[in-house]
Amino acid sequence: MADVPKGMAASASAISLPARARKREEEAELVRLAQSGEEAAFEELIRRHQQRVFGLVNGILRRREDVEDVVQQVFLKVFVSIKRFDLRAAFSTWLYKIAVNECWDYLRKKKVRPLVYETDLSEEQVSRLDGAASAERPPENPARRAETNDILDQLLNELPERDRELLVLKEIEGFSVQELAEMLDLNVNTVKVRLFRVRARLMDVYNRRIGSHPEHPAASGRSETDGSKI
Amino acid sequence: MEARFNQGPCLEFEALLEDHLSGELSGADAKKLAEHLENCAACSTALEHAAPSVQLLRAAQPAADPGPGFSHVVMARIRAEMSKRGEQKSIWLPFVSMAWRFAATAALALALLVTFDAVRHMRYERQSSLAYVPKTETRDLFPDPAGPPANRDEVLMMVADTNHGKH
Repeated sequence: MADVPKGMAASASAISLPARARKREEEAELVRLAQSGEEAAFEELIRRHQQRVFGLVNGILRRREDVEDVVQQVFLKVFVSIKRFDLRAAFSTWLYKIAVNECWDYLRKKKVRPLVYETDLSEEQVSRLDGAASAERPPENPARRAETNDILDQLLNELPERDRELLVLKEIEGFSVQELAEMLDLNVNTVKVRLFRVRARLMDVYNRRIGSHPEHPAASGRSETDGSKI
Repeated sequence: MEARFNQGPCLEFEALLEDHLSGELSGADAKKLAEHLENCAACSTALEHAAPSVQLLRAAQPAADPGPGFSHVVMARIRAEMSKRGEQKSIWLPFVSMAWRFAATAALALALLVTFDAVRHMRYERQSSLAYVPKTETRDLFPDPAGPPANRDEVLMMVADTNHGKH
């Protein structure tokens, strides 16, 4: 097993254009080494991309037990078929496409439908979510943030599956519109339009669930902006 | 303002509205959208409606880092899977090689059979061409009985045959 070339293990963040080109070249070299059977190079590729693949799978499956298993399955598929990868596209684009397909296969095989919570939100949940919608920054307390996350999940689960994926991957997992377009084989403008529409749908759900809450002071005012206009 | 209440935003501006919410709009596009928003109530309302989603989604947590040991776990699984596949391959290997041998023998036998048949056919054709007798000669030896009589003698012979048959 050969060692990974020096400097390749260093991960880069917030990189400029030449640095990005250099990083891409390094990655291409790692892919070539992995294609020739170097396990160390492949492991380095896993290290570089595991966080984003995790985010991608988690964004599509939304906190299911099998996220880690699906991510492992993705890397296994990549390992088996890496010799067929021709380096014309970025490795990450190819990897994300495999991950997206693996998630859809998983959902199809398991016939999992998103759980739709129709339970009434408590007064505390309403004020927490209302606070989140108007706050400039997310809550810093991890427990409070997790709770807000759970309530938000209830709203997101009411959205159509494919649109929810787009919104979660863009806004929560931090994928760019360009990346989403490439991994989902969509036009960049289509992604933007779908994102804008799903935002409106999310706010429809939000207004319906929060605005109509009897304890909520803005119950009457908010419901006027309900989704019929969008 | 344009009277576009109760309608969705303008189709050609939806992508720009999304860029605006994502903070990715600048320059000419930003100016174009700002001018449009001044005159389009539907787009202004849609933007106002969708805007709080940015803060709302900011409260959500992204996936947690799987940790530095994750790549080792994945590599261990890959190795296990590869060795399992290798074992499965080695179990079937004798059968596969036997099948290949059988297929090769069958192909050879078939080729020999076809060659033998072709040679035999060629020989038969050659022999039949040597033994060819023109049809005219055979007609002379065995005249066609159904044909019309050629001369007076043949007519008499036919009449004689017919009368003989009657008695």
